[in-house]
Amino acid sequence: MPESMDDSKMTATPLTRVLGILGIVAGVLMAVLGLFISPPDVVQGEAVRMLYLHVPSIWIAYGSFVLTSVSSLLFLVRSRRREDGGRHYDRLAGSAAEVGVVFTGLTLITGMLWGKVTWGTYWQWDARLTTTVLLFVTYLGYLALRRLPADPIVRGRRAAVMALISFINVPIVHYSVDWWRTLHQKASLSVGRRPEITGEMYWTLLYSALTVTIVGAWLIVHRYRVIRLEEIRDEENLKMLISSRGHERPTGSAADGEVS
Amino acid sequence: MSEVATVAIGWGLTFVVIATYSFWVVRRGRTIGRELGIGEVQQSGQEQESDLSADT
Amino acid sequence: MDLTPRHEIEETEDVRQLIHRRRRWAILAISVLLIAAVAFVTAQGLRNATLFFRNVDEAIDQRADLGTSRFRIQGRVIPSSVQGEAGVTTFQIVHECAVAAVRHTGDPPELFESPWIPVVLEGRWVEGESKTVAGADSHYFRSDRMLVKHTNEYASANEGRVSEKPPAGFLDDCSFEVPVDSS
Repeated sequence: MPESMDDSKMTATPLTRVLGILGIVAGVLMAVLGLFISPPDVVQGEAVRMLYLHVPSIWIAYGSFVLTSVSSLLFLVRSRRREDGGRHYDRLAGSAAEVGVVFTGLTLITGMLWGKVTWGTYWQWDARLTTTVLLFVTYLGYLALRRLPADPIVRGRRAAVMALISFINVPIVHYSVDWWRTLHQKASLSVGRRPEITGEMYWTLLYSALTVTIVGAWLIVHRYRVIRLEEIRDEENLKMLISSRGHERPTGSAADGEVS
Repeated sequence: MSEVATVAIGWGLTFVVIATYSFWVVRRGRTIGRELGIGEVQQSGQEQESDLSADT
Repeated sequence: MDLTPRHEIEETEDVRQLIHRRRRWAILAISVLLIAAVAFVTAQGLRNATLFFRNVDEAIDQRADLGTSRFRIQGRVIPSSVQGEAGVTTFQIVHECAVAAVRHTGDPPELFESPWIPVVLEGRWVEGESKTVAGADSHYFRSDRMLVKHTNEYASANEGRVSEKPPAGFLDDCSFEVPVDSS
């Protein structure tokens, strides 16, 4: 089946394939560690296993949004010199933001489930939960802005500005539990404070974070390549439309022959 | 809802969401690539391949 | 996607605009939805987030101002004070050595059983004699909503049992003694 083999190579390279396999293996091991080997909590019982999903998810979301901001900044600088000025930064910003939104969504879902069994409610409008849902919505808006049709450089610059504005909320989300009174507990791990978490759980948490990082990296790389493909397609479509102007034959199926 | 059921739903949902998203990304890449005929290009020449992979 | 032009197109700019117009309404709809969502979330946040709860000591200090208005109160449950009958649970909560008697209607969350668990209760002050470990009080807190505010401390259930003692230092400066739960 040579054809399907070609297809499967579409956005993969040997390196990302290794990363992908590593991600799957690490994910399986994460499930074994998180669900079976790590102990139940003395107060929360089995519910503590939500920790290994919830906390790494938001860490990766934070990381993705940092990547989005840095790339956006670099794009703003580079795109001043026009000719394809640093569009790979724009792509990286977009792919990282999308992955960040997925993991923020997962943080919210796992948090709600966890909240139901520990707090006794799915949702409360406390500072942490409110700012997190705001984070989710603003980056959704960022992704929507990226779809707004415009000249690629103009669109990229617009999106980059929005990315930088949206990022202001990231530290607010993180420190909301210190700045305001929240139902949500304080940060699980923070610099300069002894973690109040027993060894086995601590290592399972760190391992889960590593796993989610691998999966997130794989996703960002692939999404990046798909964005590149989307750009190529859009350019091809545009070229086609312009060239069909001269032919004056309104057939939609002319595409096949003209692309290559 | 019991603790165990919540944990099962949470983990199940997370893995399903990530798997679905990954699958969607890969499939979208394939679909667009096929539209553009890039699969063939990869066989005959290295131009598109390097364009797609060397950026990162 | 069918991008075949329906009209004769003269300039590249026209082509661009044609593509753009089709997606514009969708983008507009999404933007309106997102702005509405942000406005809603911000409104909710401003109303609730800044003062999500009052600690027991503050709630007692502000009792005159609070009157019969509804608010959230936070404190740790004194294990030996918990009594339950027919859907009503009575207990005492403590924070900064201030103690409030609570009369809660409804099923408490599962983790309420855990000794010295911090809880957030929704309800109001009600006039009525009550006795607490700190002495007599003229009011008690009538609550109909209980949330457990669990901490960021995690310990293996295999290693230790739940401690019946209050967290280290929590009651050190208090003038009263808390009886140890015999059960």
